[in-house]
Amino acid sequence: MGLDPANQTGRDPAPGSPREQLAALRVRLAGPGAPAAPRPVLPLGLTAVDAHLPGGGLALGPPHEVAPAEPADASAALGFALALCALHLARAEGAALIAAAPNQPLPHGHGLAGLGLDPARLLLLEAGSDAEVLRALEAALHARALPALVGLLADGLPLKPGRRLQLAAEGGEGDAPPLLVILRPAEAGLPNGAATRWRIASAPAARDRFGTLDNPRWRARLERCRNGRGGAWLLEWDHAAHRLRLPEPLARDAAAAGRSRA
Amino acid sequence: MAAEGAGGLRFLALDPEARALGLRPGEPLGRVRARIGVPLQVHPADPDSDRAALLRLCRWAEGYAPGVAPFGPAEAADGFYIDVAGASHLRGGEGPLVDDLAGRLARSKIPARIALADTPGGAFALARYGASDRVIVPPGGAAEPLRALPVEALRLDPGTVSGLRRLGLRRVGEIDALARGPLARRFGEALLLRLDQAMGRRPEPLAPLTAEAAYRAARGFLDPIGRQSDIVVTARLLMAEIAPRLERDGLGACALRLVLYRVDGVMRVLDLGLSWPERCPERVAALVSLRLDRLGAGLDAGFGFETVALTVTVTGALSARQTELGAAPEGDGIDALADALAQRLGRPLLRLGARASHIPERAAQPLPWTRAPTSWPDHRPPRPLVLFPRGEAALDVLSTVPEGPPRRFRWRARIHAIVHAEGPERIAAEWWHAPGAARDYYRVECEAGRRLWLYRDGPHAPGRPAAWFVHGVFA
Repeated sequence: MGLDPANQTGRDPAPGSPREQLAALRVRLAGPGAPAAPRPVLPLGLTAVDAHLPGGGLALGPPHEVAPAEPADASAALGFALALCALHLARAEGAALIAAAPNQPLPHGHGLAGLGLDPARLLLLEAGSDAEVLRALEAALHARALPALVGLLADGLPLKPGRRLQLAAEGGEGDAPPLLVILRPAEAGLPNGAATRWRIASAPAARDRFGTLDNPRWRARLERCRNGRGGAWLLEWDHAAHRLRLPEPLARDAAAAGRSRA
Repeated sequence: MAAEGAGGLRFLALDPEARALGLRPGEPLGRVRARIGVPLQVHPADPDSDRAALLRLCRWAEGYAPGVAPFGPAEAADGFYIDVAGASHLRGGEGPLVDDLAGRLARSKIPARIALADTPGGAFALARYGASDRVIVPPGGAAEPLRALPVEALRLDPGTVSGLRRLGLRRVGEIDALARGPLARRFGEALLLRLDQAMGRRPEPLAPLTAEAAYRAARGFLDPIGRQSDIVVTARLLMAEIAPRLERDGLGACALRLVLYRVDGVMRVLDLGLSWPERCPERVAALVSLRLDRLGAGLDAGFGFETVALTVTVTGALSARQTELGAAPEGDGIDALADALAQRLGRPLLRLGARASHIPERAAQPLPWTRAPTSWPDHRPPRPLVLFPRGEAALDVLSTVPEGPPRRFRWRARIHAIVHAEGPERIAAEWWHAPGAARDYYRVECEAGRRLWLYRDGPHAPGRPAAWFVHGVFA
């Protein structure tokens, strides 16, 4: 108490902190004619799928929308979104954030082992509404502290918040932006600026050599892909190897495999 | 008017109209009702609320000086001490300070008598029994006015007062003139202690409402501030003031309290929690800004805030860290994000935690993200990706054998035909929590490829068909 406000200006941090000076030096060293770095992507590891995606993978930063084909496929869509996270977390340091609107299906910690995802690398935010989820995702995009973000929305991603997320992803500098996956219910489709839109349905799981249920499989349809082509595949998630693969067409799955190749 | 039981109902406080009728505090209610014919409106006394209101007033008075102590049992009255030593110049001296205090209390319709003296005892005596309701005694000049006051002013117990009166000692000056030895023998040491405390011959430490925080900074403004950016800048400056003190002691702030004193006496208290000890003014300012964002119009600056105080309420060890030149900000950034989310949304960041339980719905619980990750058992057979808090009934269950898994059932308005089933996995109830039947869990896959986690509650009995529940869905 009782300090003269007039002498406080000297306490403000100097504008030329070492970090900023270094950043400025790097810009000068790179020179004006340096080629722009290619946009970072997350390759799915499947040539057949990556060929449809611009840059050979899911672009890091802009939102990717995942929706179940039917309300009953909600957990399949959550599994696919978390599989994408696991794919990215296998390459990047850090943790994934799940920001969920109320009454959205949350992953069960003991069930994550079935996807090969370490529960210790998952953070959870139980938001009170879709708007809060979007604000949390925006804050996380700005913070650049987490490599993967999943938003579980109840009413879908509207156009304007989607654009805000896009800007937040482009705004930061330095590290690669995080993978951003938006999961919404089947019926809540809104026009938005998502880079890709996936529709996921359950498919009969792979069987191991004893005939018991093994790796999960999904019928994934790439409905919308900016600067790319849509497609439909039957995908199998190998939770031990952390990779997606296209299952060999077995006799049992002939019908399903045929549909996915169509 | 208020009344309270003490050997029957007695008056505690009276409004001016009741006083005009000749009623006095302490009179039994029944006798008064018999004596006067006027209908009385009597409210039961609420000492807890009175005390809370007094404490609120004390908190408000902390805007004048940090040391505020409410009256205790010795004073037997409502009021508080403000230790203005070293703080009065902020209001332009003692006279303006007392005027300001009196004016504000009057505007809040709080009748008050204010005295400013060298000692708490002297100030109390002058405020309660002084000639005027606003007394300022110059330093060292308290003895003379005190001598003229009645002996009750010395905060004595009623027995001592009546004893003194019986001896004809009515004024403080009369006691002060007597020999001390006989007085102490007759009335005990307490009388001399109170006399000396009032006269300033013995010190009287006050017990302030909160022990004065070592990590506190405040700033008063001539022109009240109301803009969010001004408050944020002030918070940053205050933290910059506290930070060297924290650094000297190797501490960081884990929780902060920002108190905004509005011009009209209303206080706004913002409690900020941090996930890690912190003493960076910029981070604190950012958190304040986020909190104000969330409050929005709820802050209600009114005519502005005249005093802003920042107190570190919880500290944690924070040793100096070597920072790399040009490196990313300290920490991995999750703590900053967690704090930002906590301030902006008011929601904590959680992590999934395992609990030692076999019952699936009891086996996991969210933990604060700062807690160390729990170890997860390796489940064979695996658990579903989505687990419902309680099993959802599967209806119209059709099974080929009573003990086996169902062939088809209805769940969520849809018929599920099972093509593959694995199990059972028997999970017994935890009898030490609640008795119950053991559950037999099956992993089933239906025609559409959806994989569900089903259980049968209890064994199948001939007379009672088993109940089936869907407890989770696999990816």
